Amino acid sequence: MASLVGVFAASHGPMIAREWESLSPPTRALVTQGFESVGQRLMKAKPDVLVIVSPDHWVNFFLNNFPAFCVGIGAEHDGPPEPFLKKYFNHPVLAGHAGLGRHIMDTALNRDFDPSMSHRLTLDHGFCLPLWRMGLDPIPPIVPIVVNEVDDPMPTMRRCLAWGSLLKSAIETYPEDLRVAVLATGGLSHFIGEPGMGQIDEAFDRTCISLFENGDPVTLASTLERDVRHTGNGGHEVRNWVVAHAAAGSQGFELISYAPLEEIYVGCAFAEWRLPG
Amino acid sequence: MRDYWLNKLFFDIQQPELAAQYKKDREAVVSRYPMSAELRRALLGDDIAGLAPHVNAYLLRFYFAICGMKDAEFIRRLNELPNTNKPNERVSRHG
Repeated sequence: MASLVGVFAASHGPMIAREWESLSPPTRALVTQGFESVGQRLMKAKPDVLVIVSPDHWVNFFLNNFPAFCVGIGAEHDGPPEPFLKKYFNHPVLAGHAGLGRHIMDTALNRDFDPSMSHRLTLDHGFCLPLWRMGLDPIPPIVPIVVNEVDDPMPTMRRCLAWGSLLKSAIETYPEDLRVAVLATGGLSHFIGEPGMGQIDEAFDRTCISLFENGDPVTLASTLERDVRHTGNGGHEVRNWVVAHAAAGSQGFELISYAPLEEIYVGCAFAEWRLPG
Repeated sequence: MRDYWLNKLFFDIQQPELAAQYKKDREAVVSRYPMSAELRRALLGDDIAGLAPHVNAYLLRFYFAICGMKDAEFIRRLNELPNTNKPNERVSRHG
């Protein structure tokens, strides 16, 4: 049977790639240390497959069809379309893991979840920027899971917890002997295309970190459901972290680092969840 | 209230070919998207205050970046929008 060998979180932000050459040395150092730390921990876990939970930033989906959740079940996915990222992360195609993707999809449907599915997703900076900065080599096959957190209405935090539990169960019931890691990307607070852009809501970020460290999923969901409505639109990406939290068994996480990096418009955090046993 | 076609233009313009056409002849591209005269004016006049209530904020950001507006100018204009509060005093528009 497959086993869950690690659950991680890493912020993302296009400015990290767009402005990489001109970022100040302290910002570059903080970003580099955070991603490299997650990358090293991930490589130490020796995953055969990496499940990445991230939003779609208007690449695969538009207002005419925008799923709350979408599971990538293809054998291949397309690399990032953003020119500013392509120049650093030259992966036009990334390997998927069709078997685990399909099993996650089947498990979801058998448990009354109704996600969308895709046999070929285009993986934007939300997926690929962490892969670039973490320096994984080789990059394991990926099962992408897209969560809608860019346009209302979005799935509730409670549903994201349920999705995490479902993901944990799906991984643990996959019949092949696979080592599976989960990476949630995005967050914490940021404001994109709206007033406050460039500011960081550090109070929101500190609350998030405390909730994830503590572990209690009920308080986590109820507090974030309320507070996320009062921070920037990018804060909604914390839903990916909620999925990861439950996938890891809601034992709480170890914060690797946090810095409110106005230069890249993101409350930038990295973490690893504790796993049961 | 969202305007579907304004969002669609901003979504489509992520394609480099359309972005290039748009930079050459804005009005010709805009004419393919059935939106109100008021929105068309806001679009052609780079009127962020007129556009923001009708479009997803990410798409608004993408659009002005593609059009070449520097972030400092874009942020300055965003922060001049009516009813702009400090982050912890506001309610996100959720996109």
